[in-house]
Amino acid sequence: MNRDAFARELGVLVGDGNVQGVPVTAGEPPAWQVAPGSAAEVAEVVRRCNRDGVAVLPVGSGARPTRWKAVAERPRVHVAMRRMDHVVHLDETSLLVHVQAGLTGAGLEKVLVPRGLSLGDYPATMLGSTIGGMIAVRTPGKSSARHGFLEDAVLGVSAVLADGRSIHTRVAPRRATGPDLARALCGSEGTIGVITSVVLRIHLKAEARLLAAYVLPSFDAALAAAYLALREECQPAGLRVYDSAEARAHLGDELALAGPALDDDAALLLVATAGPTDLAVCDRDLVTSAVEAEGGAATDPRLADAWWKLRGGDPRQVPPPSLQVTATPSKLRAVYRAVRDAARDAGATARAHVSRFDAGGAVVFVTLVADGKPLDGARLDAVRATCEQAAGDAGGWLLGARPAQMDPYLAALRAELDPNGILNPGALS
Amino acid sequence: MPRAHVDPDRLRRELESLLGARRVSMRDGDLDTYARDMWPRLLLARRDGQLPEHRPHAVVWPETQRELVALVKLARSLAIPVIPYGGGSGVCGGVVPLRGGITIDLKRMQAIRSVSRDEMVVDVEAGLSGERFERELRRRGYTFGNFPSSIYCSTVGGWLATRAAGQLSTKYGKVEDRVAGLTVITGRGELIETDGPSRAVRGPNWTQLLVGSEGTLGIIAAARLRLSTAPQLEIFRGFEFDDVAAGTEAIRRVLQRGLRPAVVRLYDELDTFINSLGKKAATGDHAGAPITTGYGAPHDLSAAPVPMPGEGALPVLPRPEPPADDGVVSRLLAIARGRRRGLHKEAVGLALDHAKLVNRIAGTVARRGCRMVIGLEGARIRTEVEAALTFAELAHAGGRDTGEEAGWAWLAHRYAVSYRMSPTFRDGAFVDTMEVASTWERLMDLYHSVRDAISQHAVVMAHFSHAYAEGCSIYFTFAAHADDLAGSRRLYDTIWRDGLEAVTRVGGTISHHHGVGLLKGPYMAGEHREGMAVLHGLKQSLDPDNLMNPGKLGMAAAPTGVPRKEAS
Repeated sequence: MNRDAFARELGVLVGDGNVQGVPVTAGEPPAWQVAPGSAAEVAEVVRRCNRDGVAVLPVGSGARPTRWKAVAERPRVHVAMRRMDHVVHLDETSLLVHVQAGLTGAGLEKVLVPRGLSLGDYPATMLGSTIGGMIAVRTPGKSSARHGFLEDAVLGVSAVLADGRSIHTRVAPRRATGPDLARALCGSEGTIGVITSVVLRIHLKAEARLLAAYVLPSFDAALAAAYLALREECQPAGLRVYDSAEARAHLGDELALAGPALDDDAALLLVATAGPTDLAVCDRDLVTSAVEAEGGAATDPRLADAWWKLRGGDPRQVPPPSLQVTATPSKLRAVYRAVRDAARDAGATARAHVSRFDAGGAVVFVTLVADGKPLDGARLDAVRATCEQAAGDAGGWLLGARPAQMDPYLAALRAELDPNGILNPGALS
Repeated sequence: MPRAHVDPDRLRRELESLLGARRVSMRDGDLDTYARDMWPRLLLARRDGQLPEHRPHAVVWPETQRELVALVKLARSLAIPVIPYGGGSGVCGGVVPLRGGITIDLKRMQAIRSVSRDEMVVDVEAGLSGERFERELRRRGYTFGNFPSSIYCSTVGGWLATRAAGQLSTKYGKVEDRVAGLTVITGRGELIETDGPSRAVRGPNWTQLLVGSEGTLGIIAAARLRLSTAPQLEIFRGFEFDDVAAGTEAIRRVLQRGLRPAVVRLYDELDTFINSLGKKAATGDHAGAPITTGYGAPHDLSAAPVPMPGEGALPVLPRPEPPADDGVVSRLLAIARGRRRGLHKEAVGLALDHAKLVNRIAGTVARRGCRMVIGLEGARIRTEVEAALTFAELAHAGGRDTGEEAGWAWLAHRYAVSYRMSPTFRDGAFVDTMEVASTWERLMDLYHSVRDAISQHAVVMAHFSHAYAEGCSIYFTFAAHADDLAGSRRLYDTIWRDGLEAVTRVGGTISHHHGVGLLKGPYMAGEHREGMAVLHGLKQSLDPDNLMNPGKLGMAAAPTGVPRKEAS
């Protein structure tokens, strides 16, 4: 392959200004980053790469360092989606939005919010990512008790296959026309196709939003109260359970103002409800009843306000969690206890909150500390490994888990659609 | 279609060594029975006394997953197809063994293995009948929430294989919304489990790639399904709107405010009109006439017509969903046939032969508004609050409250019609239903386009049900008549072709919950276009020998891969 000629060809396809060489270490095959301006240009680039067996690696916002592996032996093209950040169609009648893959969640909200619309009650922390990236990579943080897993909001996907063909899964509320083909692309991490645009459900801005905070005698009681309310069909817009240590770390100032000191065993439950006013009130009252049934009581709502600000991206310093464990409802307590015990045995303290509740369970966010300071470096790695082991043994799912059983099937699917193996070759294998 | 070749004696020997002689059949009666489902096109031939065109080589009744694995491996070694078979209530020919093969009846695998209160999930085997499944769950205080009108004759596995929907789907969702994991024997003869919290696991969601695969990728042997607490409160109500547009707009507003009635059904003008005629007929002077009027006991299967020897009647005709709530089809035909029993067969023919005229006349007469049935159920407090908000929103959107009775009447009789379609076929006519869906933006286009397309050939009416925040499904019921089998088939195919082409033209989906089978196979390319490449990739991955229910979902029947052009 003639490098210069190839680079020139890429320039013809996407415009010279949108092709850059990517520095590589000596002896490595060349790499470029291209920024196509349309789905058609993506298709051209992929088709061209396929001809020479050049690897194609989609890049979202590029905000996070991407760890490529197993691709260093072949030339590669990083396809950056940053120029593809348009809202293609906003269907306010059906509450759907068709967006290009490079638009970030925050960028989309900027279009939606002035119109009284919203992507939904998803955690603000995920909104910095591109829509394509959020859909292509499945991680557990993208869930809301009211709107479910973000992937479930996907009604249609457009993508470019390895041979340059474009597919557009047809948009309908539901269908019974074989498997949901969009789901082959969601979570595929760029191995089945390069996602170029997505049709997403959106929501009317809630008519009312209520926040409430409760103190419960124990972490178990707080989880029990949460599930009691959910079983009464309460649909909170946000729900979080803090153990006392994590509550102090996240909401220390407000706790100091709020009066009674939190017992070490106690837990904090925070809830946001939203929707038509009557329903938001109903949902909040369901939580209140559940809390009372579990021996807890409402406390200063300023705690809830502080939590909501924090969730919305309050710049105050909260260290990122040391580990995240997803667990089904019955496993949450066991996972929490196992991690805490494992950390204690390793000479550290684990503090935690549980959040991202949905039908499949919730996520336990754990921060490991010693002497009042979050662990870091080699110590963190060592303690974290122990805690992860304990969490897995207790039935939790660690970030990035992958059932090996389906590997041969995924490999066969990829071989069928991408015989040259150009699409993100290092991923999911 | 090239029939797979296998030495029958060897096949019998091998099957019997796996299952024993009692759970293997190669008798003509069984092979005929398992040659079809409830696809009306097959029933037409049946009515004419024709034998099935495609029969399996053998029918088997396995009891364990190990036996299923062994059966798939055997089929691979003999290079003959495998067709999973549940209740046989499908209406698209999804189980027709185009190349013969082993039809696997799963109904002996029907255990509820566990119900978890903490997780709110049930582990259930695929062959369990829907009605028994729901009854067992209710006994324990739960509901799965799927109530197709075929619930008495369909299985949990069949629901999952076709992405079925029930009458209360607006609250509980379709089955694909309720499935947490599947146990599948793939076409490679391996048992896989797609369990685990989907959001925590990297890679594509295999559960959603297997739900709706109609047996073409593997056999769904068991599933983990999400449960809801059995409802503590049910609230039903009738409403009336000026026209379809006003009614659908009201539904849209309700759903988009985040309210989730369990069921909301809006009947178009013709459907509403015919229903009102039926009511008069039921209470009027000719209540004794042999037209369908009564509301049989909803859970009483004895209300189903029993085929009488010599009458040429079909057995009961269960369907996944009634064409309308209480025998509207029969009423439609009753109008056509007049009051004189002796002449009714001719009258049916006459009326249906002039479908365009009937549609137009009926459309003119029927400007009397549209009927809506709406119901909410669930936890006591929240359901009450939601009902108040929902009814207020409907009133605000121009709905007139017609009282509780209308709603309860629907609930009480919602399964009845499924078993009342035989007379239609007996009279030489045929009835079928087309369930399509689109986003709200395109819904009225979809309604008018499909209605216009079908009404060239058949009497047609519709209702809107299965609503979502982003769109809704439309359920068309059509009745038509031709003089002989060849003519009936031609007419039947034309109606479907024109109807589904209209759907694709306006950007709807060709099936909301009945599935594809043979019926809609030819339209799959129009539905998915280049996306079919992904479906073929899945097929190649999970069933490399093309032995799992070949020729369905618009894929080739023969391993060498000449795409099938026409439904047989």
